[in-house]
Formats: sequence, C-alpha cells, structure tokens
Amino acid sequence: MSDWSKVTRPIPVPNEWTKPFWDSAKKNILSLQRCQQCHHFQHPPYATCVNCMSIDLKFEPVEGKGSIYAYTIMYHTGDKRFASAVPYASIIVELDAAPGALMAGNLLDAPYTQAKVGRRVEVVFDPLNEDFTLPQFRLAP
Amino acid sequence: MWENRCKVAVSGVGFSKATRTAERPLAAHALEAVKAAVEDSGLKMSDIDGLATYPELPATGHTEVDGISIVSVNCMMAMLKLPNLTWHIQTGSVNIGGAVQQAVNALLAGVCKYAVVWRAMHNPKGTYQNLPGAHAAGPLQFTGPYGFGGPGQAMAVAYTRWLEKNNQNREKMATLAVTQRRHTQNNPHAYFYGTPLSREDYLNSRMVAHPFCLYDCDIPVQGACAIVLTRADLARYLKPQPAYLAGYGQRLHFEVAGRIGSLSSYMEGGSSSAKLTWERSGFSPKDVDVAQIYDGFSASVIYGLESYGFCKEGEALDFIQDGRIELDGELPLNTFGGSLGTGRIHGLWHIIEGVLQASGRAGIRQVKDANVCFVGASAPIVQGTTFIFVREPY
Repeated sequence: MSDWSKVTRPIPVPNEWTKPFWDSAKKNILSLQRCQQCHHFQHPPYATCVNCMSIDLKFEPVEGKGSIYAYTIMYHTGDKRFASAVPYASIIVELDAAPGALMAGNLLDAPYTQAKVGRRVEVVFDPLNEDFTLPQFRLAP
Repeated sequence: MWENRCKVAVSGVGFSKATRTAERPLAAHALEAVKAAVEDSGLKMSDIDGLATYPELPATGHTEVDGISIVSVNCMMAMLKLPNLTWHIQTGSVNIGGAVQQAVNALLAGVCKYAVVWRAMHNPKGTYQNLPGAHAAGPLQFTGPYGFGGPGQAMAVAYTRWLEKNNQNREKMATLAVTQRRHTQNNPHAYFYGTPLSREDYLNSRMVAHPFCLYDCDIPVQGACAIVLTRADLARYLKPQPAYLAGYGQRLHFEVAGRIGSLSSYMEGGSSSAKLTWERSGFSPKDVDVAQIYDGFSASVIYGLESYGFCKEGEALDFIQDGRIELDGELPLNTFGGSLGTGRIHGLWHIIEGVLQASGRAGIRQVKDANVCFVGASAPIVQGTTFIFVREPY
C-alpha cells in the first residue's frame, strides 16, 4: 500500500470558477458544476456549459459513488515530494450521478494493484491543511 | 478534391547533430538544421523569404529563454538576417504541423516563395516533467495534488482505458518498439542509431507510469530539424526531387483543459483531420504505401492508426503484428525510427521522413514504390495534423 504520510502535495489555487468546489469539499461535501439549462454536470469546471453553451452554471452536491474510468500506476520519482508513495495509483473517476464529468484522485487504503477500469469506488475526504480538503477515493464495499 | 492539390512541395531537409544534453545552445542546433535544409535544396540563404516555427518547450516547470530553450522566429531572423524576408509566423497551437500548414497557405497566397520551417527541441537540466510547485493553479488544481505531472501520466491514464476497454495487453506494444528501433538502425541522424533493442529489453524495462515503460516514451534530446517548402512549379527546378503535398488536415480536439483520461478526443481530432486529408488528396488508407505516425508516447501510434482509418477502433495492437509495419510489410511504419528512435524532436521529423520516402531519397530505408506517403504529425489525442506527400504531382 502506498505510504502517503510523507507526501507534500501541491496546494490548489481556486479561481472564480472553482472556489465553490473547494469550499464544499472543506465541508466534506462533493459538489460539481451543473448547467441550470440542460442539467449537464461537468468537471473540471469551465466558463460555459460544454454541452449547450449556457453560462447559467451552479455547483450542486452529488453522491460520491462511481467507477474507475482510467488510471495509471506511477513509478517515476522525478518529483521527490511524491517519491515516498511510489508506486501509487492515480485514478480518474466517473461518478454515477455525473456521467461525463471526470475527477482525478488517488486510490487510498488499497494496494495499487487494485486499480482497474470499471472498479467501484466512493469518495473520502482527506484534509490537506486548514484551508483545503481533497476529495479522494477508496474501493466501495 | 482540393484545388491546391500538389501545388506546394517540400524540397530540402536538414538536421542538427542531436545530443542527449544541452552542450550547445539550441539556437546553434536550429541554425545548423536550417542551413543544411537550404543547402540540400540548392538555394542560397538570401532566396529564403518565409520563416515559420512552433517554438514550444514541452517540458513543464522550466523557463523559456529564446535561443537557449526555444528558438523563435525573432531569434532565427537575428541569426540569418534574411534580406528578402516577406512572411513569418510562429504558431501557438496545432503543433509543428500547424506551422508547416501555415507555410503552405502562405505559398499558395503568393506572399512568399521559399519558406523554411524548423523545430528545435531543448532538453533542460534536471527533471523534464515537473509537478507544479507548492501551489497548483488553473486546470492543474484538480490533478497536481494527486501526483499528476506532465503529459506522460495524462497519456498513461487514457492508455489504460484503451487497453482494458478493448481487452488488450500492453506486451503487444513490444512489436512497435522493437520494429521502430530496427528502423532506427537505418537512420544515422537518430539518437538511438547503433543501439539495438530486443523484445526482452522492452518487456523487462522499468515502468515509468503504467502502462508506459521506459521504451514507450521518446527520450528527451537537444536537437533540431528543418525543411524548405516552395511552390511545385519552382520546386521542380531545385536540386532534389520534390515531394508534392497532395493534401493536409488539422483538427483541435474538444476536451476542456484538465479533463484527462478521456478517449473521445482522439477519434474526433484524428479522424476529422484525416478525413480532410483523404478528401483533399483523393486517397484513402488503402492507397498509402508508407506511414509516419507521431509516437512521442507509443500509444499515440495506436490512436493514430485507428482514428486515421488504417484499422478499426480497438484493433491497432493486433494490426502492428506479423510483419505488417516492416519496410517490406503491408504498411511500413515510422521507417526512420520514429521519435522513439530519433529522440524527442516532435512531428517535423515524421514530415521529413514522409518527404524523403515520397521523393525517393530515403537511402537504405527507402520503401519500394513509395508513391503515397501519409504523415500524422501530432498526437491525435491532443490534436490532429495530417499530410499526404506523393512522388508524382497528379
């Protein structure tokens, strides 16, 4: 299992499109950007709805259950901050409630060999510091 | 068909002596390649009246310094002081293929007669792909905190999806790496010229970002290459046999920055660009005698073969087996060794090989009867830029 305890992660820098995502995550709620016209969810957030070009977008809470859409196992230790966790699984998750929105994460609390396309995962919240909490994923029971 | 079919040709080509590290400034490499291309075409430097490049440094987290880590049009003009320059551009998207296409458009518009396009690539000291520093802004705020750095991991996640969705095995990619390395042994300009690679070497090599092992990634080098483009009616009177441009295409993908892992973009970008190229040239995949397909990461070849229409979606790893991509195979592929053999100088080298094959100037790696030469000059998962060069202008 990857040891994340010694890893120093880059701290997110929110902007006007993304701040509600991080504010919500800090309260352990996963919220994604949703078009109020066509009801399409999208992630990462964007200035317009990539489905219908509307600019009427709001963040709405979503249930944090989904499947691994894609993944990689990182072996390269080019960035020393992550070297202690190598090899680790970086995954892309598609939530059941938000098809088409793709969220990055790490597979926590499981050997990296458990990362497979289609495997069920659920969101967990991993406090980064006083200001930021990272949505992360673990295998769903 | 395109009304400008075969009205532009590529004449001379040139290379610098690529090295693993940056012993000489990048500007010296670019100058060496440009001078060689102009000399190869039989022109004088004062004949050159058009300049184009795509000066991006793909390494992340490094400073761009003109002449050291990039070579801009300004830098080239400062070195060459062309007395007759009438047109120049440096493109910010669509990769080096886009710069070549802009030069084609300028020649067709009559605003220059002899255009030089170069691609110069720097290998910075230290780690090539750095994660963002202490903070991750923009699209990186959703990937950097999870250990996603440069393009390698973004390409790797898409490749696992491709492999598992299509029930495929990464070990089949050994055929591509080994065949291209064998092709490399016919290309003295290539970084890995003189260094063979066996199937066992590939299968036993260290993983970088699964499913990519070391030999799925092109090695960063310091080097440059260049071409001279001109109108077909002028190319005919120059020293080398020209390669005529039968058609080209380009298409940006539709993905929002930071949305990584999706495979939809390669079929949209690659197939749209290729469709334009087939329609404009009047050819189809079955007419192609030899193909050069961008291979900065091995998986880009898979996406290229599928999106350009050489095989069906999900089948490319089977398509490359059984000798099909050898010099005497059904579709000789990356006959110069590809970026996996030459080192990372991006797609201009693929264009050059398409030109050399079409003009019958590929030497010991010349494919017999190479009349229709296809080039995919960029990774279709990012954008498509495709070309067809032909030996005869009809």
